Amino acid sequence: MGAWSFYITTLLVYFVVDALSAFSLNLQFGYAGVVNFGFIVFQAAGAYVAAVVTLGPSGPASFQQYILGSHLPFPLDLLAATLAGALLSFVVGLFALRRMRRDYQAAVLLIVSLIALQVVSADVPLFNGSNGLTGVTWPFGQLFGATATGSPYLYLGYAAVIGVLVCLGVIWLSRSPWGRSLRAMRDHEDAASAMGLNITSLRLQVFVLGGAIAGLSGGLLVEYIGAWSPGAWGYAETFVIFTAIFVGGVGNYRGVLVGTLLVPIIFLEIPRFLPAIGYPGLTDSLEWVVVGLAWMLCLLFRPRGIIPERRLKAARPASPLETAPAEGSA
Amino acid sequence: MGGSMALGAADPLVAPIPGAPVLEARDVAVGYGGVRAVDGVSLAIRPGEVVGIIGPNGAGKSSFLGALGGQVKRSRGQILLGSRDVSQLPPHDRARLGLVRTFQTTSEFARMTVFENLVTAAEGDSGASLKAVILHPGRTHLREQELAQRAFGIMERFEMTHTADLYGRELSGGQRRLVEIMRCLVRHPRVLLLDEPMVGVAPHLTGKLIDDLRAIAAEGLGILVVEHALEVVRRLCDRVVVMAFGKVIAAGEFEEVVADPQVQAAYLS
Ligand SMILES: Nc1ncnc2c1ncn2[C@@H]1O[C@H](COP(=O)(O)OP(=O)(O)O)[C@@H](O)[C@H]1O
Ligand SMILES: [Mg+2]
Repeated sequence: MGAWSFYITTLLVYFVVDALSAFSLNLQFGYAGVVNFGFIVFQAAGAYVAAVVTLGPSGPASFQQYILGSHLPFPLDLLAATLAGALLSFVVGLFALRRMRRDYQAAVLLIVSLIALQVVSADVPLFNGSNGLTGVTWPFGQLFGATATGSPYLYLGYAAVIGVLVCLGVIWLSRSPWGRSLRAMRDHEDAASAMGLNITSLRLQVFVLGGAIAGLSGGLLVEYIGAWSPGAWGYAETFVIFTAIFVGGVGNYRGVLVGTLLVPIIFLEIPRFLPAIGYPGLTDSLEWVVVGLAWMLCLLFRPRGIIPERRLKAARPASPLETAPAEGSA
Repeated sequence: MGGSMALGAADPLVAPIPGAPVLEARDVAVGYGGVRAVDGVSLAIRPGEVVGIIGPNGAGKSSFLGALGGQVKRSRGQILLGSRDVSQLPPHDRARLGLVRTFQTTSEFARMTVFENLVTAAEGDSGASLKAVILHPGRTHLREQELAQRAFGIMERFEMTHTADLYGRELSGGQRRLVEIMRCLVRHPRVLLLDEPMVGVAPHLTGKLIDDLRAIAAEGLGILVVEHALEVVRRLCDRVVVMAFGKVIAAGEFEEVVADPQVQAAYLS
């Protein structure tokens, strides 16, 4: 396999992972109005758990230290990653989503993201500290004697199938009466609860569901790249996904897909191809300039995103209410 | 009943319960820090009755409604819905028991269509729970059709069918008020609390809204309405309660209450 096709395949795997993240965040933010500034933590939880449950047991003599080491077969590895994201978001949601202003919730979640990074970096026995974990394998691939890096096309297909199924599920839920309740909560919390919606419970539900998808995406990512460390999940990563859904169109999954293609994939890859200019690390910093520019251009020219949220027109009831003779029917 | 009311007979908007009263407040108080916004207010509403609350700005009318609906924390007192004490229940549970309200500042769901505003109001029932949606798609679909029918029926009654696909934020102030009221009715309420429902409603439409509200009450619903315009109160309400400084200073029929010198002093000053 050539370097280019490997590169493109890798980008596409990233696209699947980012699309899962963006769909999850759009469900939380675009539909429910929950500003999850700690999103990346739940992806990281899934990645770490998928890593340790496939790496095998870790002993005192092992070159990397971690908890929960085991050899779980497919699909328990991804299931564990999903549950890790769900469980962590349940615990975090219990205290971060209490009845308080949304900007405070966002701030608490951002702080959770910072604290989690510090704790995981410092606590080596947990997930091998700041060195992170390497040598992660792909249990599904082992069934066929394949490894993620040895058969990237196969992995891409595998990730794509999971990604498409989950994303379709998210779309379906968003359009359901449950998704409509989320939008009511987003638009006016007090009115929604005065109409009988249990805001606390709805918010926790969407937070845990989003966390589960984030965990799954982390599992898919780590089994492809084979390694995971605190460097992979800085709080800034959350903002890349937020930028993607803002640029694409909050509340519109087609827009979210376009945003995911543009921001984390195209915009953030372009600087890599620029000739090395200035001091080392300048191109890396340029990535953040690109993210900032994307925000500003979007706010200026397409404040609702490239493909804005769509109006859902009501189907008129099949049997019209013709109790009285229709007046003026020409 | 006129032609537009024909629907009411086939599909009662409210769930009447026998006996009196449908809502009772006993010695309700609300404090914000040191401020006593509501200081021992008691009142009762019977089914079919429209009770008005008037009083100067800052009298505690909205805070009292908040205490009834559960949006504002009570410092003392009891709230009974029918025979049930709902004082400790969160707002959504009170709503599920039939106590619904509108707000002083319009509270339409701005990025949802009028139709969606209405059907969402029924979502507090378990039919829209994540579990029901996932496990019973067939039932959910049926329920959606019933809800659509009901929503269009209510829109027809308020002559708002042409706005069904407009977003909340695209409506005029008066239309937003109507959306709030229609949304409440979707829930088959027993009690309706309205906080200044006529604000923003075009003068030539207030008459129709008064008639509509009276017709809804006549089906057995209790309505408690905070209103500034005395003329509206006179035409809409069976009884009036006057509040000032968190207390009830007078209550009774409109004519006798406004003639009360104490009321004139508090209200007109
Ligand atoms: N959230 C709040 N925090 C502090 N004080 C409040 C709050 N809401 C209302 N108040 C105060 O409580 C009193 C009653 O207000 P309100 O219930 O809005 O009266 P009304 O609806 O009769 O105009 C006023 O003095 C007002 O300033
Ligand atoms: Mg008020």
